[in-house]
Amino acid sequence: MSARGAAATAARYTRLTWYLSGVSLHRLTEYRMDFLIGAGGFLARVGCQLLVVAMVFQQVSVIGGWDYRQVLFLLGFSLLPRGLDRLFTDQMWILARRLVQSGDFYRYLIRPVNPLFTLLSERFLYPDAFGELATGIGITWYAADAMRLRLTPLQLVLAPLLVLCGAVILASIKTLFASLSFWTTNSFPALYAAGQLGDFAGYPLDLYQPSLRWLLTWVLPYAFTAYVPASYLVFGRTGLLPWLPVVTAALAALALTAWHRGVDRYEMTGS
Amino acid sequence: MSAATGLAGLRRYTPFAVGSLQTMLRYRSTFVVNAVTATTAVSLQVFLWRAVYNGDSGSGPGGFDRAGITTYVLLAQVLGLLHANRVDEEVSGEIQRGDIAVSLIRPVSYPLTRFCAGVPVSLVNVALVGGPVVLLYAGLLPLQRPGVGGVLLFTASSLLAMVIAFEVNLLVGLAGFATTNIWGIRIVKDCVVALLAGQVVPISLMPGPLAGAARLLPFAGLVDSPLRLLLGEYRGAGAAAGILAGQAAWTGAMTLLTALAWRRAVRRVEVLGG
Repeated sequence: MSARGAAATAARYTRLTWYLSGVSLHRLTEYRMDFLIGAGGFLARVGCQLLVVAMVFQQVSVIGGWDYRQVLFLLGFSLLPRGLDRLFTDQMWILARRLVQSGDFYRYLIRPVNPLFTLLSERFLYPDAFGELATGIGITWYAADAMRLRLTPLQLVLAPLLVLCGAVILASIKTLFASLSFWTTNSFPALYAAGQLGDFAGYPLDLYQPSLRWLLTWVLPYAFTAYVPASYLVFGRTGLLPWLPVVTAALAALALTAWHRGVDRYEMTGS
Repeated sequence: MSAATGLAGLRRYTPFAVGSLQTMLRYRSTFVVNAVTATTAVSLQVFLWRAVYNGDSGSGPGGFDRAGITTYVLLAQVLGLLHANRVDEEVSGEIQRGDIAVSLIRPVSYPLTRFCAGVPVSLVNVALVGGPVVLLYAGLLPLQRPGVGGVLLFTASSLLAMVIAFEVNLLVGLAGFATTNIWGIRIVKDCVVALLAGQVVPISLMPGPLAGAARLLPFAGLVDSPLRLLLGEYRGAGAAAGILAGQAAWTGAMTLLTALAWRRAVRRVEVLGG
């Protein structure tokens, strides 16, 4: 494909994303109560998590080398890639749970657009994600303000990229485990279990057993979605930072390979 | 009603328990999910609280020492499994699909059938998921060894907790008559109940007003009461009896409340034919 062709394709998909996101927003205004309950449920969950952190820090002033505000910053930051990822890839849950099993997946193969894009576009701008992003920004902002965090220009430039890389990592983990359904028909339990382990990302990894820390860094690299970027922004630690683009790229490549292999394997039910 | 007819009446409910058990054992992947969820939750809690009690050789905040707090958060998650009876999910699902109509014409009490279907789910989860998790942590970390009396009191208290959990979940499920988005309500319920029950933070470590409120509510009977009895966090036999009595009173009150809610719900039920 020539450079011009690539640019045209990119422009086309950007336009499509814009248009389909608009369609999703219409759905949002149509089912307002669903949106409110979804966002409210999310707020309650984060609220409980914040209460737990607050109560932990009533007993001690520092855990694992992190104080209250720094842990809040980490917790808030961990919500940003999660929210961004959820905005665009929530349909993966449906793939894992149902689409292969019911045979409905063929619908995504007969449209003149990339199947992965078509699949994801069905649930663009999932409402809960807005709650997650807004709370994440609020908590991060509050924590950064409370500890008078001054970012260097380089950190300021890198911060959005760190969120983006985190979102790509999360999306790749989701795609990888959802694609397993092409082999197992239903990979919901695997996807759910992998997602549960993501809960570890909201706290400093210094708390955990070294083997668990290793697992969260190199096997299911949730460390790179919050802990590594937050320790860079808060403490200026750069030890693991160079690995971030490498891990992101490798994981994305792995997820796309699994997805393509799975799609090639898929056979229509014929009914 | 004589004892014999009472028993015969109860026997009508055994198929519901057996059926639910069979469903449970057929979908074994649920256990994998539950095991990962429980292990993750336990590990997070254990690491977090052990960092708080780092270096405390004697008793720290709330009267816990390191082994005590580890035992508490571990068993709190196991009790959480005991309470995960899926009743809220299944009742609201039946209401949404309209299947509730079929349940209404059966000559049995719907709440009782739900209870009988929920009990095996709870017990199997505790045995097949909770058991291994406890064994794993008992091998890894020092735990507090409870006395025989503590274990007996804990067992009695856990049974009451199981009934309270059923009633809470049934009430949430019945909310399906009022709203179709039960998913959001369940998320709120899950985290608020876990917090007020003392499942994520022991109530004795909460700030005064919150602890006071939590102790007054029925949710404390879910986790706080059984674990206080097990770990001996009370003064004298009278206090232990008081904890059990409080739980029993809430069990009775919640039973009345669910019965009332069920009667009102049935009156407003509307199912489209088809």
